[in-house]
This record gives sequence, structure tokens and C-alpha cells, in this order.
Amino acid sequence: MKFVKAILCLIVVIGLVYALDRPWGPVPALGNFLSPFTGFWQNGEKQGIPSSEITLKLDSLREEVIIRFDDVGVPHIFAKNDFDLFYTQGYVTARDRLWQMDLQVRAASGRLSEVLGPATLELDKSSRRLGMGYGAEANIKMVMSEPHSREALLGYTAGVNAYIRSLSPKDYPVEYKLLGYRPEPWKPINSMYMMEQMTLTLAGRSNDLNMSEVLKKYGKDVVNQLFPDYPMLQESPIIPVGTKWDFARVPVPLEIPKLDSSAQTIGAKPLRDIREPKVEGIGSNNWAVGAEKSITGYPILANDPHLELTLPSIWYQVQLHAPGINVYGVSLPGIPSVVIGFNQNVAWGVTNVDADVYDLYKIKFKDSSRGFYWHNNQWKPTRKREELIYVKGQLDPIREDVFYTHHGPVTESSNESLQSPDLAVKWIGHEPGNSFVTFYELNKAKDYNDYRKALAHYVGPAQNFIFADNGKNIAITVNGKLPLKYKDQGKFLLDGTSPTDDWKGWIPAEQNPTVKNPPRGFVSSANQSSTDPTYPYYINWSFAPSERGIRINERLEAMSKANMDSLRMLQNDNFSVQARTILPKLLSILETSPLSPTQKAAQTTLAGWNYQNTPESVAASIFETWVPVLRDAIWKDDFDKNFGAGDYPSRDRTEYLILNQPNERWFDNVNTPQKETLNDVVLSSFKTTLDTLTSRHGAMSPSWQWALVKGTEIRHLSRLIKPFNAPKLRTGGGGSIVNAITKRNGPSWRMIVELGPSPKAYGIYPGGQSGNPGSPYYLNLLKKWEKGELNELLYLASPDDKSPRLTSSIKLLKN
Amino acid sequence: MNFIIIFILTAVSQLFAPWWMVALVPFLINAWRPATSGRAFLISFAAIAVLWFSYGLYLHVNSEGAMSDRIAEIFSLPNGILLLVVTTIVGGLVGGFAGMAGFFLQQLFEIQPARR
Repeated sequence: MKFVKAILCLIVVIGLVYALDRPWGPVPALGNFLSPFTGFWQNGEKQGIPSSEITLKLDSLREEVIIRFDDVGVPHIFAKNDFDLFYTQGYVTARDRLWQMDLQVRAASGRLSEVLGPATLELDKSSRRLGMGYGAEANIKMVMSEPHSREALLGYTAGVNAYIRSLSPKDYPVEYKLLGYRPEPWKPINSMYMMEQMTLTLAGRSNDLNMSEVLKKYGKDVVNQLFPDYPMLQESPIIPVGTKWDFARVPVPLEIPKLDSSAQTIGAKPLRDIREPKVEGIGSNNWAVGAEKSITGYPILANDPHLELTLPSIWYQVQLHAPGINVYGVSLPGIPSVVIGFNQNVAWGVTNVDADVYDLYKIKFKDSSRGFYWHNNQWKPTRKREELIYVKGQLDPIREDVFYTHHGPVTESSNESLQSPDLAVKWIGHEPGNSFVTFYELNKAKDYNDYRKALAHYVGPAQNFIFADNGKNIAITVNGKLPLKYKDQGKFLLDGTSPTDDWKGWIPAEQNPTVKNPPRGFVSSANQSSTDPTYPYYINWSFAPSERGIRINERLEAMSKANMDSLRMLQNDNFSVQARTILPKLLSILETSPLSPTQKAAQTTLAGWNYQNTPESVAASIFETWVPVLRDAIWKDDFDKNFGAGDYPSRDRTEYLILNQPNERWFDNVNTPQKETLNDVVLSSFKTTLDTLTSRHGAMSPSWQWALVKGTEIRHLSRLIKPFNAPKLRTGGGGSIVNAITKRNGPSWRMIVELGPSPKAYGIYPGGQSGNPGSPYYLNLLKKWEKGELNELLYLASPDDKSPRLTSSIKLLKN
Repeated sequence: MNFIIIFILTAVSQLFAPWWMVALVPFLINAWRPATSGRAFLISFAAIAVLWFSYGLYLHVNSEGAMSDRIAEIFSLPNGILLLVVTTIVGGLVGGFAGMAGFFLQQLFEIQPARR
């Protein structure tokens, strides 16, 4: 009896401990997770503002470093050399954002499945096939061969690792505890992966295949008509019209018309990549007003990069101070230096250039072993790169053999019935370079010449680098390594067998479109066309729609005595250029049509609208819902099966059609026997719009307010852990609006810098410095961001500066 | 007495050793200093439960539930306090059964009780 009791009890205990010591499906090992000594309880931080002063001894530090934190949790780092400076940047960034850095590197390097299991396998495969590792390896060699970038990267790596080493399991960020894995040592190449990921987000798409489909279905005339290389209705290019191209042009490669059109024949249904298509809302605004337009007598610069809004934020604020450098701005966790910011003498910012730097080549393999491919009239060997993907819960890794041609990895398929891919990707992400050094030099820049020198190193993703300095210069440069192409090279699928279609060199860096101190007194960009058609080189045939750029330029044109606040208002500008352009015409059509009382009410609402996408506007909801429905109604029947919404003719082209070509055949729905006209399409899409809104939000009422219909949300980076998301947000704006907040994308950082003898700067992002949901700094900036306000950025001159906003500090000593 | 010994030893050992000290400590103490089976369970349960509850409560209050309320939501619980109750019960059960197992094992080998 005793025996039975003892055994029973033992079994229960061992069973309990065993069950609680291992994960069950998505549930973490509960013993560790629930224990207040090791579990999530440890991740709750004391709320309120800390005021501690501590000293830490760390390995491989060279001299003493002081970190002072301000009241919003921004570290101000004072070091005595570059190594220590970036060491400390790595240390504090890891302290606040370790799991984010881990996850983003895993996403970029195709190693998510190692910790998340089979659910992310396809995503990992996609990263591996695209050659993210190939690109990162090519880049790290360049970076490590340049002394400054090498020092920065080694310092950063040592700092991140010093922090990781200081952690015991109870200190791990809560995401590690939830997902049941542990941080691994940081490697210098991880910074390259972060840059690859940025290149992928901003310049990792192409619609070459779809354009080839259109070409095949409709022929060249229709392509030229519907997919023109420059907006037909309205544009306000980044480099002002009339800017002189003051350089000796290099010869542009010639397109040799092909006798054999086989390269253009593609299958019935191209295989789509699983990566999400590029959405509007990933873009950015920046501008700088010159001294004569500003109230301070010095330039003022503004920048708001639009990306997916996540928690923690993609950005991390930091001030870096060491001999020869004192810079403040936002960094990307995982990359040393400041990416967007200012120093004593200059300020700079970036927006994305929609350059055509991702091309697809149709490859002709000798046989199914894919060992040789046909190019320049001979068989050339491919190179095989073996990718091993480890998957959580599976013993053996999954092996992917990726074949590389001189173009790049053969990774996509022209036809989903194919057994193996037949399209090679030529992508700027594979080009060896040292873009990091551009940021490093901008951090230290003193004037316009430093800016131009810094830019010459940059490879990609191409950015519109805006600049202002204390010498009262303003400038903007469409900057990046841009391939020298024949016109429209890469608009369609390219022929991988012909040297004619190869990328042939680059637009010389100093000939990238640029303008300094233009007569209009300001420079700006919002991802629209880089230049007007007079620029001698081909950059791309399609750019982001022009509305944001048009609005920004109109307002800056009219502005005088600009100050921080007037520019802040412009960042928050909700005016819809799109509505101004197209709505009067649409309303005039509705007026001549019979409407039900509900439709009449909606029409009246629209007619009384001031084109402001304010959070409370009902008209904005109707219009913003209507536009995509209308676009679908016009184009879906013509570009259905193989095309996605992004592959329709552009918004500009659609508006041109409605305003100037009302009798075109495209209004007719080819799937119905009768012939539809513009009026029919407008009316039916209007009805659909109201039906959609009614089914989702009830009858027209304040529940149709734009903020509610849009429903902006900021999710935790995991996209899984809902309680770590931000609370519901109330925002105006929209994709085509200067205040570019959509459901999930928007201004991920808003910054305004007033230059002058001592710079005054303001900035905010939606979230907080800490990635820990249990920290008082997780969401502390959110409310202000939502209201469109900015924080003054505390720019210190020395570690001994006094400011009531300074709170805690850490002194780092070498061990 | 066993309550205090278990409470203190578990608290100290958990600062550096794994969570399952909440099983090992009550087991050993009850093998070393047996009471009755019922008392072994109750005292062990109480010692671990009080320890986890009080430390958990301190961390919860200190952080104003910033983490615990969110984790509670993951487990579909209304707030961190309820999650703390669950935590307490889980810890208590492990400790209780371990204590009882220690007691019975001691009985099995008829080890002379150290006291009483």
C-alpha cells in the first residue's frame, strides 16, 4: 500500500514536472513561463521614469563611455572613439530591441522556421531563392575591407554580444519565452541582412511578367497607350522641370529588336511569388525649404518615411557623440549609425526611389540538370548554391538548390506548370557595395560637399536623399547605383540568352538626378517620377502616384516664413488631390442619373465635401471606398485572370481616361452582352460602394467616419501576439494623402529640423524606444503621434549638459 | 517549520536554479523531515503558493500589470491577477504533490524520522 501511494505520488510529480517543462504546440513550457522567478513576470518593468545611475564593466570596450537617457527613453551616447561609440549603440539597441533584431535577421536570412516551425517555411524558401544570403555575403566583404565601416561593424557586434552575454534566461525578452528559444550571438553579417531586408521591402518587386502578359494579349500599341512611361494627366517631378542636365552624357545601350520573340512567350499563368505585392503607403515624404522661405533665416528640413507600422517601431532614436561626430536621429536596429537625422551643421532624410532595379530574365537551360544555360551563343555553366533550412520540430533540414547565372539566381517561374523555375532575377540587392559608409559619412558631414561625397558610395535601395546645411544650402539627389539601360529595359521580361538585354554598367554617380538651391526655394520628394522625360537615362517607367508630391509642392510654393509648425501641419495635411481631380466629374455623372434616397444622401455628402480626409469625414470614406471599386469596374474585365490589382493601368492613366477619353472601349465590360459606358460604370460602382459600406458599417451614419472605416492598426512584429498590438487608432489621411496613414502603413517617423547656429529638431514615431510590452517606453510616443504632434529632440553638446529632461544614466567601463 | 524551510530554500534556489526547484525542495524536505501525508501536501502547497503569489504580486504591482495583463489576454483571462491565481495554483500543486511524494518515499524506505 505504501508502495502504491509512493509510486502514484511520484508519477504525478514527475508527470507534472515533465508536462510543465516542455512546450505543447504553441504553448510555451509553462513551468518556466509561469514561474515569477524566470517567466514573463520578470519582463514587467517598473512604470514611471527611472532615475538610476549605474556603472557597468564590459569586455572589449576601449575607454569609458557615458550614456544619458532622456524622459522618452532616448539614449545619448558619449564615447571617446568610433569603436566604443558603435559598441554602445549596439549595446543599448540590443537592450531595447534584441528580439526585433533577431526576428528581422531571421526573416531576411530565411531562418524563421528554425524557431517558428513549418508555418514560415515558404517565406524562408522565398528569401533563400532570392539570394538574400548571396547579397549579404557580397556586401560584408566590401564593408569589412573599408576601415571605418569595419570598425563600426565590429564595435556594434561586440556591443550587441556584450549585452546578450549579460543575460540569464530570466532576462530574455518575453518573445523568446513565449516562442521558447534563446538569443544567439550577433554576427557582423547580420547588419548586411538588415540592409538586404530594407532593399527587399523598397526595391524587391517587379511587374515584368505581368507587363509581358499584357503585351502578349493586347500588343504594343495598347501597352504604350495604357502603360505610358510618364504620367499623362498630372505630375510634379522630384527634380523641378527645367533643371539643366549639366554633364557629359555616357552612351546609352541600344536595344536590338529581336527576330526571335521566343523570350517573350510565357505560359498561361505565371507563378506568383508569395511576397506581398507592393502596396500604396510604403513610400515617404521629404522636403527642405531654403533660408528665404523660412522664418529662421536658415533652411528647415522635414522627412516622414512611410513603412508598415509595427511594434516595436522599425526605427530607434539615438544620439551618437564621439570625436568628429555628434549626430541625432533614427537608426535601424541592427545597423550602426544614424539613417535619418541631423548634426550641428547639416540635416538629411530619405524617401524611396522607385527605380527599376529588379529584372527577370528568361533562361534557357541545356537540360533538366540545369548545369548550363545559353547565353551569347554558347553554353555557360551555372553555379549551384545549396540552402539548408532547419525547421523546428524536424530533424533533417530542408535542402534547396538554387542555380545562379551571371544575371542572378534562377528563382521564379514563367509558368506554374513548370517543374523548376526558369526566370533569373537581376537585382540590386546582389550588387556588392558599402551603402553603410554613406550613412557614416552623412553622420559626420559638415556641408554640401560632404553630402555629395557621402552619396557616391551608396548602392541601394535607391533613395531621394534630401539635404540642408548651415551654409543655407538645400539639395535633393535621386541616389543609388542605377543600371544604365536602354529605354524600357526591364519593363517586360528580358531575354536571358542575349547579351543585349544584360545590365551594362551604371549611370555615373555624379549624373544621378540632383538639384541644389533651385529658384523655387525648396526641394521635395514623395516617391513620384524622379525627373521629367528630358533626363537622358532610363530609371523606371512607373513611379508612385503623383498626388502627394503635387500637394506638397503646391503648399510649399505658397508658403512663406515657414517654421516648424507650418511644416508639421504639412506633414499632417489631409487634402485629397485625387478627389479634387476626379470627384467633380464623377458627381456630374451622378447628377444626371436616377438615384435612390440613400444614394442621393451619399451624393449630397460628397458634393459638400472639402476634400479633406479628416478622421471624422464620412465623405472621405465614401470616396476612398469608391475609387478602388471604380478602378476594378473599369479594368477588371480586361485585365482579369492573370493580373492583380497592381497591374492595372495607373491611377493617373485611369483618371485621364475618365476625364479625357470617356468614349474609350475600356469602359465596356467585355463579359456582358450590352455595351457599358463611363456613366454606367460610375453609377454601378457608386452603388457597389454604398452597398459595401452598408454591409460593413450599417446605414450611412457617423459609423462611416473615415477613421473607423480605415481602422488603422499597429500590430506587434510577430503579427501573432494580439495583446502586444497598439490600442485602436483614430487617424485621418490615406494612401494618396500627404498624411499617408493607411490601415497598416504610414509615417513610421516624422522629423523636422530647423537648422541654425544650434539646430532645433522635432520628431516622433508611433510606439516607443523599448520593444518590451512591459516597459513604460513601449507605447509612450503613440498618443502624440496619433494627434500629429512632435517631441522636441534633445540634442546635447556634452555628457555634462544639464537638462530637466535627462533621467537615468549608465557609465560603461572597460573590463 | 517545514513551511519556512521550504519557503526559504525554494526562494533562494530559484534565483539560480530552474523552476522545478519548486518540486525538488519540498520533496527533499519532506523526505528528510516527514509529517503526515496530508500535512506534507498542504504545507508544501502553501509554501510554494505563497512564495509564487507574493513574488508574482510584487512584480505585477510594480509594473502596474503592463506585462501580466497582456499575457493574461493571451490565455483568455481577464487580467493579470487571475493569471497570478493560476500561476499560484500550478506552483502549489507541483510543490504539494512533490512534498507528498517525498513523504511516501521516506515511509517506503522507513527512514527514521529526524524528528516527530
